[in-house]
Amino acid sequence: MFCCNWCSYAGADLAGVSRFQYPPNMRIIRVMCSGRVDPVFVMKALKEGADGVLVTGCHIGDCHYISGNEYAKERFERLHKIVIKQLGINEKRVRLEWVSASEGKRFADLITEFTNQIKELGPLKVI
Amino acid sequence: MEKIYEPELRNLLKKCYQCGRCSGVCQLSKVQKYTPSKIIQLILEGFENKVLESGELWDCLTCNQCLKDCPVKINFADIVRMARYKMRHEKNQSSDEFVAHKGIYTTISEIMSRPYINPDRNMDWIPKNCKISDKGDILYYVGCLPFFNYEFENLNSIAISTLKLIYQIEKKPIVVFKEEICCGHDIYWGQGKLKTFIKLAKKNLEKFKNAGVRTIVTACAECYRTFKIDYANIFDEFDENFEVKHIIDYIYENWKSQKIEFKNPNKSEKEIQFTYHDPCRLSRFLPENDNITNKVREIFREFKYLGYQFNEMAHNKENSLCCGVNSWMNCNEKSKALRYKRMQEAKLAGSKLITSCPKCNIHLTCLQNDFEDLASIEILDFSEFIINHVKVIRTKSKGD
Repeated sequence: MFCCNWCSYAGADLAGVSRFQYPPNMRIIRVMCSGRVDPVFVMKALKEGADGVLVTGCHIGDCHYISGNEYAKERFERLHKIVIKQLGINEKRVRLEWVSASEGKRFADLITEFTNQIKELGPLKVI
Repeated sequence: MEKIYEPELRNLLKKCYQCGRCSGVCQLSKVQKYTPSKIIQLILEGFENKVLESGELWDCLTCNQCLKDCPVKINFADIVRMARYKMRHEKNQSSDEFVAHKGIYTTISEIMSRPYINPDRNMDWIPKNCKISDKGDILYYVGCLPFFNYEFENLNSIAISTLKLIYQIEKKPIVVFKEEICCGHDIYWGQGKLKTFIKLAKKNLEKFKNAGVRTIVTACAECYRTFKIDYANIFDEFDENFEVKHIIDYIYENWKSQKIEFKNPNKSEKEIQFTYHDPCRLSRFLPENDNITNKVREIFREFKYLGYQFNEMAHNKENSLCCGVNSWMNCNEKSKALRYKRMQEAKLAGSKLITSCPKCNIHLTCLQNDFEDLASIEILDFSEFIINHVKVIRTKSKGD
């Protein structure tokens, strides 16, 4: 999963400090902003064998760089509609979510829910 | 794998006698330092490692202009393709910094090569009056167009007009795969991932066989060349089982056998000047007996009676200039310079520019965003251009 430096990564920190439990099957990659996450990164992650990709950023309007997350949202809508769907990959495997720095609990819940969802879908079998 | 890869590059170059013509005609050498003849000589003298390690060969356009002018017919583009495989797998080089659009389209092709991935293409673009089916004789191979919509606009109209043309002529459902995969051209030429290409080719062959296809029609110059030459190269019986046709071929044959004629319902008084850009895949990349460049010109000459005037650009047919980018490699200011040159020629030749390769279309259209003086040229695909001028001759009316 990709976490933006300012909100989601801090949210992950809070989840850790507050000792909320969440499944260990994910790897966090810290980026400066969700707008930095190029759809190519998502495609490469899928190609290399990730079963799902979760991208998180600040809530709309809270972006540290003013409009990075809006940009991310627009790009991901296009990626979903044109690339992921047409490749025959379940759209639920790629998700964009907003998590703020204070939402440690939500962060843990989100990951639990996303992991369960991917487990239900089973492996992507790309490799 | 053995058929498309020769581990000893030297064996392919031995005929070279260093006339240096390749460096003279090389289109890339006009905008940056790049000398095929020097590279060939270095490899021949045993400095292959040095050449591969320098990463210089990632720059090649693989436009094949050098093969066209080579007196001993050394296929330099093929060497580049194999060298890229070596650079990737032996020297552990990555092509990431050279790939345009950060490699999203090649990544998509690669994902499609994996055995469990079955694309689920959007079929909304298919016009209502065209019928399609899963099995049948004639396949329209759409290519990557639906994926290009991710960043480019108006590309569906190429697919729509091509399908309309085929359907009008055949009058029976045309096969269009919902789970169509990439032909592998970009991976083969640009990325040097030859094994992935073979995987894609096998997957494709299976799909063609399952659908009972006999004729494959495509509107893409790259798909055409890949099926016609490269697939036939890998699979022994490919050219016996399948007939590959570019839409130009297809229209030409039907026109010659008098199934269709060209009409212009809204003929204007003033002649419209237009020109044609030859994609490298349809001019320099085909064997000499394949005269698709002449066929398309014959069709265009006929358009004289429809109020169009066909003009050649300064460089045409086998000598046509490159659109600047090949297999999504190296989109930079140098490739822009090449495109600018091409568009300047087009501007002198007419107000419409016809091409038969969707990628040329994309690259040249992209340049128009940067230069206002070029924006007035209308860039059309061959199928888009003729769709409104084709009239099917009904066999019944002949007897009247």
